[in-house]
Amino acid sequence: MLDVSRVQKELVEIKRDEKLSGVSIEISEGDLTRMRGTIGGPHGTPYEGGVFIVDIQLPSAYPFEPPKMQFVTKVWHPNISSQNGAICLDILKDQWSPALTLKTALLSLQALLSTPEPDDPQDAVVAQQYLRDYATFMGTARYWTESFAKRGALGIKEKLVKLVEMGFSEDTARVALENCGGDENAALEKLCGG
Amino acid sequence: MMEGRSRVLCKFFMHGACLKGVDCQFSHNWSDQSSQVCTFYQRGLCSYGARCRYEHVKVSRLTQPLATPVPVPRHLPAAISLTSTVDSSSRATVIAKPSLAHLKDAWQQNSTESLANGVSAISLGEADEPEALSNDPSDRPICAFAAAGNCPLGESCRNIHGDLCTTCGKHCLHPYRPLDRENHKIQCERNKKNLEALLKSQDIECSICLERVLSKPTVAERKFGLMSGCDHPFCVGCIRGWRSGSHAPGMDIDTVVRACPVCRVPTHYVVPSVVWYFSPEEKEEIINGYKNKLGEVDCRHFDYGNGTCPFGTSCFYKHAFKDGTLEEVKLRHLGAADGNTVIVKNVRLSDFLKL
Repeated sequence: MLDVSRVQKELVEIKRDEKLSGVSIEISEGDLTRMRGTIGGPHGTPYEGGVFIVDIQLPSAYPFEPPKMQFVTKVWHPNISSQNGAICLDILKDQWSPALTLKTALLSLQALLSTPEPDDPQDAVVAQQYLRDYATFMGTARYWTESFAKRGALGIKEKLVKLVEMGFSEDTARVALENCGGDENAALEKLCGG
Repeated sequence: MMEGRSRVLCKFFMHGACLKGVDCQFSHNWSDQSSQVCTFYQRGLCSYGARCRYEHVKVSRLTQPLATPVPVPRHLPAAISLTSTVDSSSRATVIAKPSLAHLKDAWQQNSTESLANGVSAISLGEADEPEALSNDPSDRPICAFAAAGNCPLGESCRNIHGDLCTTCGKHCLHPYRPLDRENHKIQCERNKKNLEALLKSQDIECSICLERVLSKPTVAERKFGLMSGCDHPFCVGCIRGWRSGSHAPGMDIDTVVRACPVCRVPTHYVVPSVVWYFSPEEKEEIINGYKNKLGEVDCRHFDYGNGTCPFGTSCFYKHAFKDGTLEEVKLRHLGAADGNTVIVKNVRLSDFLKL
């Protein structure tokens, strides 16, 4: 049986210092066992500035069994599968302890991003690149962060292209989007109205 | 009121139904005191202990009030006829009819052995009125009303109004029973200490369910699990659930499951306790108390010598045979080639047979 009251306490605790810790969680509606965690890319790493989304599934025996976590956002990292986002981290497997929480697990993931362990890899290709050609690894990791983990920036570009395709000039479309805080529909209304 | 009766109030009559009616040996008079003394305690074995509803007092103090009820069937007829009131002697013959031989014995005893005995019986029988009981103040019980703060009878109360106990704030120290006073004080101190420990334990949270252990919904859940290896608090239910539950494959029993979830220090056993501790001595006291309590319970695995206990010499439960003798443990030591000594566990023939 899932310990509902413990999960709720954890969620409150995460919410309390969301800004300071750089990790947050939102639950899917009506289902306490399914959540999405977000991790801010740590400073001084190729993941800096990115926001990484983690799919979290709580087993019914939680907290006596570890939560199942997997990256939804694509990440280039020796301990994270570049194919499906599977994570290789001991505390999510055989070193789990019921005193750990969702917050500490997410913080551990954040720490994993800043300290890769290429000797115990999840993705052999990435690990090999990390060990043999560190510069290329850094470049790829940074590029993947730019492409997949900065959805906000990418979104604006896509929306701009959309608006330009509708027949508005690029400059006016950008101004409208900026004024509406990136909201595509509000920008369209503004453009049509004005 | 029959003189043939004891002056101890019949407990069946007290509860409203004595089947013996007028033939009852015990008193059916409300002014008589009931025997609130635990006879098992006097014989040295009351299994209710402190929870017993009867008074636990030593034999010496009771000799007076309790002298009569036991020897009643043999002695009373004799004693009564000696008092020679017509009414009671006729009554005595009625009672004595079934056991005439005994009556004779009693007569002979009284007359031949010592007349003084008989006389003392008479004097006891006549002088020992309820008022006489209260002559010795140490025989009078504490007044419960006064102990609680207010006795409606005031000065005229038959029971003793106790002195104030500074610990519990009740007037419940018997002025004439020094032993009881001491016992009460010790008990009171212990209660106070327990209460304080309980209050301090209120805020302690379990690191697994993240709730206050003493605020859990059911009483059974409001117990700490003390770790023998470290000082991290858990509910006993949570920590036992973690240690005995199913675990992910690859989890190491000794370094992960049997370790403290917070600090990962290995812990061999978990001790349940209703209060948390705040010093190593208190922890020791709780653990020793627990071990002593378990040591009184017979081990299920050992089963009076019929079974084998997997915990062997480290078992907390009692390993005793049916006749009460304790198991003698002979450890077999083997000197290994490197000079170290190994303790040999039970060796079975089947271990050497390859099937």
